[in-house]
Amino acid sequence: MLKVGIIGCGKIADSHATQIQRIKECEITGVCDNEELMAKQLFERFPIKGYYTDIDTFFKTAQPDVVHITTPPQSHLKIGLKCLGHGANILVEKPFTINTDEAKILIDAANKANRKVTVGHDAQFSTVARRMRHLVHQGYLGGEPVHLESYWCYDLTDVTYAKALLADNQHWARRLPGGLPHNIINHGVSKIAEFLSGESAQVIAHGFVSPFLQKLGETKIIDELRVIVHDEKDATAYFTFSSQMRPSLHQFAIYGHENGIIMDEDKRILLKLSGKSYKSYAEHFVPPALFAKQHLGNLAYNMRRFLKREFHMDDGKYQLFKSFYKSITDNTPVPIPYREILLTSYIMDRIFEQVNKSN
Amino acid sequence: MPILSSAPRDSLILVTGAKGFVGTVLVDALLKNGFTNLRCFARPGGENGRLIEQKKKYPSANIEIIKGNLQVPQDCIRAAQGVSVVYHLAAGTGKSFPGCFLDSAVATRNLLDALIGNKNLKRFVNVGSFSVYTNFKMRRGALLDETCPIDRDYMERFDAYAFGKIKQDDIVIQYGKERGVPYTILRPGVVFGPGRGGSILGRSGVDTFGFFMHITGRYKIPLTYVDNCADAIMQAGFTEGIDGEVFNIVDDDLPSSRALVKAVKQNLGYFFSIRVPYHVFYAFCVLWEKYATWSQGQLPPVFNRRMCAAYHKGNKYSNEKLKHMLGWKPEVPMMEALKRYFEYMKSVGKKG
Repeated sequence: MLKVGIIGCGKIADSHATQIQRIKECEITGVCDNEELMAKQLFERFPIKGYYTDIDTFFKTAQPDVVHITTPPQSHLKIGLKCLGHGANILVEKPFTINTDEAKILIDAANKANRKVTVGHDAQFSTVARRMRHLVHQGYLGGEPVHLESYWCYDLTDVTYAKALLADNQHWARRLPGGLPHNIINHGVSKIAEFLSGESAQVIAHGFVSPFLQKLGETKIIDELRVIVHDEKDATAYFTFSSQMRPSLHQFAIYGHENGIIMDEDKRILLKLSGKSYKSYAEHFVPPALFAKQHLGNLAYNMRRFLKREFHMDDGKYQLFKSFYKSITDNTPVPIPYREILLTSYIMDRIFEQVNKSN
Repeated sequence: MPILSSAPRDSLILVTGAKGFVGTVLVDALLKNGFTNLRCFARPGGENGRLIEQKKKYPSANIEIIKGNLQVPQDCIRAAQGVSVVYHLAAGTGKSFPGCFLDSAVATRNLLDALIGNKNLKRFVNVGSFSVYTNFKMRRGALLDETCPIDRDYMERFDAYAFGKIKQDDIVIQYGKERGVPYTILRPGVVFGPGRGGSILGRSGVDTFGFFMHITGRYKIPLTYVDNCADAIMQAGFTEGIDGEVFNIVDDDLPSSRALVKAVKQNLGYFFSIRVPYHVFYAFCVLWEKYATWSQGQLPPVFNRRMCAAYHKGNKYSNEKLKHMLGWKPEVPMMEALKRYFEYMKSVGKKG
């Protein structure tokens, strides 16, 4: 039985605890937060063996094999190193660290300690993302990716909600190098990083405060980002983060030399984009019929998964946790390669560097 | 015994959540009753229009507006300095358990910590909620009063707001017992009135599925008009002999759920509704809850037996304790209160 601990008992810790308790081969032996009340409230609501306010006592008593770090990102490196020092494997909530330098330190420390580390990029393990990955690995694209497009939006059009967010000057997300987007775009950027090569790339970023936020008096939160990425093998990617565009997309498209694939995280739709063309008017009739068939296929697939109890809202987290635990117990590769974690971090660093300079 | 008339009018009074729905009315009530030294604590951002208006209306009163976050201990220290009476209305809302807990329980603990050692403190009025009670094992129509049990089945009830308020009350009681904080807890029912555009039918039925399922039927809805509620809260700050007491706030002449649904339809426009007997809805909740467990939360247990009972089982409600110990009575009768609410809703173009 794998012993799991959680450090940081705020909002995101709830969804971690919910998914961990779905995994049969593990138990939560302790949770830790420097605010005792927060640790206790999590302990009281889930099957957890103990709660702590001191990390050393937490390790001594709960003896976790793996620790989920769900504290604000500014503390990830320090807590991560401490956990590795205690011999635990770590799953770090996104953003992994506040920059690439810190990410490298943490990964190096994990390698030296012979422990495993991963990041909470759970959108990489959603039902639809796994279907897409399977198709790509089967060679559906017809070779290496040529171009990628990732949309990761955030709805900020509710005035009341936006005002509340803007009012909270103390929020840790505001103090990140990239501000609010730093805590949101990880999922969208990691989708690009998965299919690009190397640990660095050329990044061109443009960001601005939307007219909506400007009207509310906001001048600092960049809520519109447009990014071009170009990797060492000449694959390219567009990344869009928007708080204003509708629909508020969480979508990813990948194009190869023969075919492409598009997936929608919200609707859990996966569409194969065939590179084949049809003669004359058939081009206008056959593809729509084939798309209709694919949409029906998505409906059937989603319903089947739902009926089989495999369609949870947070299924990505469950799959990621399960894969990570398996990599620890069976000594198999980690679910997210370290290269991917570092490239995601690198792209985000370059985005915020450019955007902060121009604003 | 009531002593409001003899309470010192220059006592420094702290109101948290002062820009909220009840908070603004409470500040108004305090000023109308001649209290001249108010500290209004509110979150940063948003408009201060109502408080600024009150400053103009009562130029001789000292109304200090402090902006901050009760999760920040330093902000609590600023708010608590030198106060005699605290009306603690700020609370967490939403569907996140840790979020509600932070804004209700942790914030309250921080405020109480800041008050320890304050020799001026005469009363900490904690404004809780009816949602903390459980009527799960009570029969339909039984009296729900201050002696009823608190719901400790947090995850089965699946009500983040109630969880936050239960824990908030626990902390206040603990500080009362262990640190000698003189507290009183008030638990209002459904507060309604001008200023809040939301529906008042939450305890009558459910509109999740695109139409209104009317469940509570002939049983009463524990309404309290915002002015009456604010009056009760105000009096709890200056009434002697009520330390450690808990009071529920409901008005007189409570309407039945059936009458309320009818009145909303008549005044705010027709909407499609279906009468669903309580036992049918309860059975639905049993199935939903079982499915949520069986599917490991593929559908969260938003419909569950405890929630169904708490909101729709139907109880009798009493304000006798409030009347007897505080000398409170609802100044605005229910008919007039509903009339004012409907007029407000029409003026802002809202439907039921």
